[in-house]
Amino acid sequence: MLKLTLAGVNHKTTPIEIRERLAYPKEHLNDALKSLSRREGILETMILSTCNRVEILTVTTHSSPDPEFYLSFLQETHPVLQGHSLRPYLYHLTGQEAALHFFEVTASLDSLVIGEPQITGQVKEAYERARSLHLVGPMLNQIFQRAISSSKRVRTETGISNLPVSISYAACQLARKIFQDMGDKNVLLLGGGDMAQLTARHMRKMGVGSLTLMMRDEKKGKELASEYQAHYAPFSELENTLVHSDMVVCSTGADTYLIDEKMVAAVHSRRKAGTLFMIDIAVPRNIDPAITRHSGIFLYNIDDLKTVVEANQREREYEALQAREIVREELSTFIRWLADRSTVPLIQSLRSHTESIRIAEMDRYQGVLANLPPETREKVDILTRSLINKILHPTYQTIRQSPDVDEVREWVTKCYGLPSDLPNPGAEATSGENVSGTLSLSQPPLVEGESPA
Amino acid sequence: MGGALLHTLSLFILFTLRGHFTLISLKEAASFFSWALVIVFLILEHQRKAHILGIVVFPVSFLSLLFVLGVSTDPSFLRSPTTSILISLHSVLIDLGLASAALAFFVSCFYLTLDMFLRRKIFNLFFNKLPSLEFLDRLNREFNGLGFLFLTLGLIFVMIWSYRTYATVWPWGQRGSWSLLVWFLYLALVLLRRRRNFQGKQAAYLSIAGFFLFAMTILAVNLYMGGGHSVF
Repeated sequence: MLKLTLAGVNHKTTPIEIRERLAYPKEHLNDALKSLSRREGILETMILSTCNRVEILTVTTHSSPDPEFYLSFLQETHPVLQGHSLRPYLYHLTGQEAALHFFEVTASLDSLVIGEPQITGQVKEAYERARSLHLVGPMLNQIFQRAISSSKRVRTETGISNLPVSISYAACQLARKIFQDMGDKNVLLLGGGDMAQLTARHMRKMGVGSLTLMMRDEKKGKELASEYQAHYAPFSELENTLVHSDMVVCSTGADTYLIDEKMVAAVHSRRKAGTLFMIDIAVPRNIDPAITRHSGIFLYNIDDLKTVVEANQREREYEALQAREIVREELSTFIRWLADRSTVPLIQSLRSHTESIRIAEMDRYQGVLANLPPETREKVDILTRSLINKILHPTYQTIRQSPDVDEVREWVTKCYGLPSDLPNPGAEATSGENVSGTLSLSQPPLVEGESPA
Repeated sequence: MGGALLHTLSLFILFTLRGHFTLISLKEAASFFSWALVIVFLILEHQRKAHILGIVVFPVSFLSLLFVLGVSTDPSFLRSPTTSILISLHSVLIDLGLASAALAFFVSCFYLTLDMFLRRKIFNLFFNKLPSLEFLDRLNREFNGLGFLFLTLGLIFVMIWSYRTYATVWPWGQRGSWSLLVWFLYLALVLLRRRRNFQGKQAAYLSIAGFFLFAMTILAVNLYMGGGHSVF
């Protein structure tokens, strides 16, 4: 019997001071995995280690390892944690709960920023690492395939990842609400701070027509301009550049308005383009809010962008409700797979038992059957097979649909007189989901190097 | 899609049985308007991914069909006299023009709503579903251009018919004057659009006014002013 267990810490349970010590450096992950796999009872395992979580997924024989097992492993592989107790931070899930948690993590429903796309790639990486060390068997393979499938469905069937939740992305989202095609748009960046650089990077990804960068420091400005394939212009050109700009991103350290109402009034009459979208992420602000009196001008400051981000986060949480439904559907598919795997040995036992009875009866009447023409003998053979299949069909259905294979095995054994020592193609047949909510699977041989989705 | 296909089939059967495709009653005009609205929307949705228009196109089309069902059927509608091909073209083109004007009206409403959301910093679900201002403005321009084209062609055909029947190109009077006013308004929209600074809110407001004038003219002219559309 195989048991699925997940133990770990994440951003919800553990402060950053502990998490940063627990995260495995990439070069140490293989050693940690090998060390874990050498422990008693471990058949399959993988470790997901990111800045927000360290989670260990294991498949073991007979019983789930207790939290102490994982605590001792984490202590052993992190000597720096000696003296610190991880017990208050560790969560330990088994069976269905472990599977559900893994599905939610992969679909980015358990992330710090719900819907962020990196976690799915990190799960894939963790799986590939374990697979390369031959630590993945049928259980982990199947749970990984289903988790990736649910993650894909969540992305395509919900809007969970459509809405940006960073200030710089929010600025780009707003630009998309105003402009359809960024390919013919001129964007002016005032200042070269981190936010301006991030925005410049996103703008380049959006395929913006031209980028102009203005900075007080000409040397640095030209360097940055070259990095983002932008054109450098001095501040003295501001008014002229505004005439041809469609979007302005302002994040300088200046303590006065760089763009005031008077400048915009002068520029407005010379402008050919209709709409001017301005983002002022500087504190103190660099653009006079009075400029919005002019038609076709949209101005957003840092607080406005935070409002966009908050609204998007709320929207993502709403979408997450639908996403959780999808995850539960995929979990049901996984549980059905487990149940099917568990019932196969019992069905095969019953089939071989009845077939042996049929053959014995056919032999008993061999004398009578021998007098029949060959085609009639063949028909009798088909008839007996068909009869048995028809009689047993409801039983097969009942076995497949049964939530407790142990109980149904006992019932089938009594009803059909199955010998207890009947050859069993698999190991001990067990339930796919029992009352305690744990998942289990009759033990198949470990599959090495199964391909991912 | 299924509804649009069935509606197309029903119009085809009606026109085939009758032998011409003149829309001879307000009921038929409403039915054709409903069909034209959905067809133009489906083409647009396929080409431009303007899904958001569906939230107004389908209810309006449905209401238009409800109106059609509510009006009693004239049992002689299949036996109506064969009319000139020019009148048939006129009625269909004017109806297509109205459908285009209605779509321009919808996108103008969306434009003004999105503009208001952006100015007041309202970020709700509807905000997220709306396409960009630039896209809505472009759609508005295209629908108005299409509406103007249909309207112009519709009026040219009726002018030819009028000249042949009454030996006068333009039958002045209330009906003719209002029709000309609508045409001039759409001409103004199309010409003003050629100037780069006439766009956005100004164009949206004028489109809304244009649609109202167009729709009111069709209703008022045909319901209260008599004339060539005597069966209305």
